[in-house]
Amino acid sequence: MEALLDQTTMTSSAGPGPVLKVENVAVAYKVRGGEILAVQNVSFEINRGESHGIVGESGCGKSTVAWAIVNFLGANGYVKHGSIKFLGQELVGKSGEELRRLRGDQIAMVYQDPMQALNPSMRLGDQMKEVLTVHRGMSDADATKRCIEMLERVHMPDAANVMKRYPHQISGGQQQRVVIAMALLNNPAMLIMDEPTTALDVTVEAAVLDLIGELRREFDTAIMYITHNLGVVARVCTQVGVMYAGEMVERGQVAQIFKAPQHPYTQGLMRCVPKLGADKASSLLYPIIGRVPPPDSRPLGCVFGPRCDYAQDRCGEEHPRLRMLPSGVQVRCHFAEEIDPAQWTPPPELELPPEPVGTGNGNGNGAGEEPILVVEGLKKYYTAASNSLKGMFGMGEKRYVKVVEDVSFTVKKGKTLGVVGESGCGKSTLIKTIIGLEESTGGEMRFLGFDITGDLSSRNKRLIQELQMVFQNPDSTMNPAYSVGQQIARPMIRFGTVPKRQVRDEVIRLLQAMRLGEAYYDRLPRQLSGGEKQRVGIARALASRPDLVLCDEPVSALDVSVQAAILNLLLDVQHEFETTMIFIAHDLSVVRFFSDDVAVMYLGQVMEIGPADAIYAPPYHPYTEALLSAVPIPDPAAKQKVIRLEGSVPSAMNPPSGCRFHTRCPRRHLLPDDGAICAQEIPPWQEGEDGHRIFCHIPLETLRTLDPVITQ
Amino acid sequence: MTVAQPTANVHHSEPSRLRKFWSGVSVVFTSKIATVGLIIVLFWFIIGLVSFFWTPYPPNSSLFAQNLYPNSVNWLGTDHLGRDIASRLMAGTQVILLKTRVPGDSGWIIPGGVALWGVFGALVVGAFLGLNAAYRGGWWDQGIMQVLDAMVAFPAIVLYLVIITALEQGDFVVIFAITVTGAPGVARLVRSLALDIKTRDYIRAAETRGEKASYIMFREILPNARGPILVDAMLRVGYAIFMIGTLGFLGIGLPPPDPDWGNMVNEARRFIFLNAWAPFPPSIAIASLVIGLNLFADGMREELTRYQK
Amino acid sequence: MLVRDCMTRHPILISPKTPAAEAQRIMAENRIRHLPVAGSGKRLLGLITRQRLAMKPDDLASLNVWEITRRLSNLIAEKIMLPAARVRTIEPEKTVERAASLMTDYRIGCLPVMEENVVVGIITETDLLRAFQVMLGIQGEGVRVTVNMPDKRGEFAKLMRVIVDRNWGVVGVGTFPNARRDGYYFAVVKISNVTLDEVRDAIGGIESQEITDIRTIV
Repeated sequence: MEALLDQTTMTSSAGPGPVLKVENVAVAYKVRGGEILAVQNVSFEINRGESHGIVGESGCGKSTVAWAIVNFLGANGYVKHGSIKFLGQELVGKSGEELRRLRGDQIAMVYQDPMQALNPSMRLGDQMKEVLTVHRGMSDADATKRCIEMLERVHMPDAANVMKRYPHQISGGQQQRVVIAMALLNNPAMLIMDEPTTALDVTVEAAVLDLIGELRREFDTAIMYITHNLGVVARVCTQVGVMYAGEMVERGQVAQIFKAPQHPYTQGLMRCVPKLGADKASSLLYPIIGRVPPPDSRPLGCVFGPRCDYAQDRCGEEHPRLRMLPSGVQVRCHFAEEIDPAQWTPPPELELPPEPVGTGNGNGNGAGEEPILVVEGLKKYYTAASNSLKGMFGMGEKRYVKVVEDVSFTVKKGKTLGVVGESGCGKSTLIKTIIGLEESTGGEMRFLGFDITGDLSSRNKRLIQELQMVFQNPDSTMNPAYSVGQQIARPMIRFGTVPKRQVRDEVIRLLQAMRLGEAYYDRLPRQLSGGEKQRVGIARALASRPDLVLCDEPVSALDVSVQAAILNLLLDVQHEFETTMIFIAHDLSVVRFFSDDVAVMYLGQVMEIGPADAIYAPPYHPYTEALLSAVPIPDPAAKQKVIRLEGSVPSAMNPPSGCRFHTRCPRRHLLPDDGAICAQEIPPWQEGEDGHRIFCHIPLETLRTLDPVITQ
Repeated sequence: MTVAQPTANVHHSEPSRLRKFWSGVSVVFTSKIATVGLIIVLFWFIIGLVSFFWTPYPPNSSLFAQNLYPNSVNWLGTDHLGRDIASRLMAGTQVILLKTRVPGDSGWIIPGGVALWGVFGALVVGAFLGLNAAYRGGWWDQGIMQVLDAMVAFPAIVLYLVIITALEQGDFVVIFAITVTGAPGVARLVRSLALDIKTRDYIRAAETRGEKASYIMFREILPNARGPILVDAMLRVGYAIFMIGTLGFLGIGLPPPDPDWGNMVNEARRFIFLNAWAPFPPSIAIASLVIGLNLFADGMREELTRYQK
Repeated sequence: MLVRDCMTRHPILISPKTPAAEAQRIMAENRIRHLPVAGSGKRLLGLITRQRLAMKPDDLASLNVWEITRRLSNLIAEKIMLPAARVRTIEPEKTVERAASLMTDYRIGCLPVMEENVVVGIITETDLLRAFQVMLGIQGEGVRVTVNMPDKRGEFAKLMRVIVDRNWGVVGVGTFPNARRDGYYFAVVKISNVTLDEVRDAIGGIESQEITDIRTIV
């Protein structure tokens, strides 16, 4: 057959070429009256065993690139020019059948929502086996064996049993594991992951990210990882490309980009995420001014030019090329060498506000801090529908879902209480009960001295006026049928806070306080961006001049640069109106940044409560510790303890006895008998300094000896 | 996704009212189907308007020989009483789309045809019931929906007969019949829309302002269900016209001697062996108007749902 | 070292219907000399090598220009490949030595790596050369010393003991028989973070062993 080595064709020691090579790709969508260039000038390559992150805000074309690779662009999208080479073979310009053959089972895709990839009417095992039996003609028994092996490989507990279940019978994190296992069954050369962990809780996300890293090394798969979260990139990726307005603006090794971002956009992105441990007293967030231009009105020169702090005349005229810097980082900027992020100064309007008198941080001037809201042993149960015949006639034993159980805290005037916890921990129900959308089942709640245990119908108008809420989803926070002005004016008219004739002026004054101009008065919600809608939502909540504003994840649906602007706005609002806030979020760095006090909730109970800085340093409650160690930190150099929780959150219908966290607690072994007491007795509240309280059997002295979770 | 809605950023300046109106209307013309539908509907509207002032011959007088086939004098022939079919066809549009006769001998008329008022009635009743069922939930929902289900289960024709025999013939009775038969459908639609809309955060916001249930239902929820309800209403106008035709065919529709299409078909049927041509013009008129409304509604649905995003 | 540790995973595969010209282009563009042909589920159907693409002059001599063109355009991978039954393959759990001996025994340049009929990788001469480099620690800096020692029990241990005593780090080891002197063999050891003289002093003193070559590699 082949004779000895042919010297001239000896390949370089880097091995065979990249798995995926994308060169100068542009993707366009045909729309009525022309076409829209969604993505242009995108080039990157991914080698075996590499994981290439694509980051950027929404609408920057990240997913479009992925869809171009797998040819999911839809009926009106197509690759306008450029080349996409997969395993050395061109994909652009090939027919559907040829593409299917080329890609075959070599590219797998994992989406944000695992249910997109799972058939809800088939058992998981059957779906997985199908991959092997259909393509490879494997026997059923062999396929079953392989599937179980693969499920075990992705750390699925009780794999054989999972095979027999339907998708809805397992949790979201487990569904995502099944999807990943299914994707790997074919041993694909490339895995495209489009925000695979965005919908998951932090602790679950951490475990999935660990898994992805492990699998990449073991299977030598090239991974294209699309995300908006810089922390996730830092944790799982080796290379990263930053996309902005449909272009790749910077690309290089993760370590390098995080250490010294070259493009002003990348620098801006890094500045607008709060560092874990940063607080509002000592640091500021710097949002990027303006917003991502829509694809049909991108600037002719540098796409980032209009929002760039360093923009010069040249940036408006000449489109920069992606060029290689000596450090090996590719950047699309005319002046990358001249820009030193360390020299960057924040715009003058973004200075740390002076510390207002009387609202200092805990020590010393604690006098005059009257509690505005006192919650004592609050309970909220829902009755669960009984399945038995007896239950149908109301004779059976009533079963309760104990969503909030024995929660106590106080909120002081002008302060912010942050509430963190994973989904299903009862934080939203807690807020709904306080605001009166739900009636409490037990316990006491006093707001400004008035009893508010009943729901809204039992409260008088003045009380209702003092409690307002900011909602999570910018797309549903505003009524699409009314203009911005009408919606902000409504609470003023309803509560009569402003005489009728002055309403318009007052609305405009509020709009200006939200950094929105008078021009917004007559706009309809569909003409606003997500951030703008959220600002209007805040303005509406403030319109009745409430004493307490409850914020239910107000920034979690927003892009990071917008998120920073909204957080700054909320801070300003708090300074100007001296509003007290309760702030719910699942992002621990945001809560840390924004809150004076923090409560950590798990399964309806507060596990730890205290001043923000005390929560984020030892002694930790074991659950807080696990949460902190799961947070993806946007700094690949930071060292983080690895603590992963086993299993999933138990049902609130049947919460574990004793300490509700004992079934998953990684620190139980610190107690005698492996923490036998945890399962039997409800833990005591252990008092630390400054009102810091921990709900745990483990003595504070022991908890204090644990190392901090994050060391720089 | 990345294909952003281009309209969002176009007008930053304040558009005039006329302009706003035009931009709303122009939505119709972006869909070919809707444009065709609109042309058909407008055609009948104009015919009806013209008939108030001019018809080739007086519609109710027997001026010609009976049962003539179309000829140069009577374009569509004459009926069994020797009346001009073309004139009657034109005048028949009035009662369906343009006027409602007040019972009694006053001779007063209300603008808006029987079909339109009937559908309007169905919308008002249906929306009220649907909103209450969806927003209040619980026993309200159960009760309202059970009653409506019972109404749907009752055969429609029998229902008309019962209503009409109870109340004598007349325009208002037909309107009432259309309302009663249409309301359950509207209520179901409104209920399903409201069930979705009531989960939105802006409803929570209204509740945390302590707004009354009626305010939330009619001011917060209803405006957002507008699009689908309008489309549904247009389809319902089509059904209502069919229904008027059916009632007329059964001889219990709008009172004679003023023509309406249903009655015309019914009368022509009896003399079909003498004049096979006579049933066609009113039948085609009914069919074309219904098709026109359907096309218009379909086209609008496509456009309205696209614009909702 | 096993085959799975040094094979190339996810090799470029072509389908049996790929035109020969395309196959040739893929090989040239990606600078590879072997192209496994796989069907659905990555099952191996055959192998295309440079030789397979070369046409015998005798075949062509009898054809005119038009016939050659037609013949070429109809040529697809399926027709020119070496069918799977005749392709030597190996499993990922076999040793590298086994792969190397298969390749030298049959004078072939590559072995598709198979797991139950499915191509999971390919191992070529290049991969083996790379494995060879890794084993001898070529990538790292250090002092490379070749020692000639008698083929007796305990000889190698003596050498190692010297290294262990000084707490030196070994980055690569290899042994091969001395072709010129029966009963002797060479041991090549690469040690990091030491000077040439230190190594010469330490190893040169071992009884019955001699240094035949010593050099610093950076």
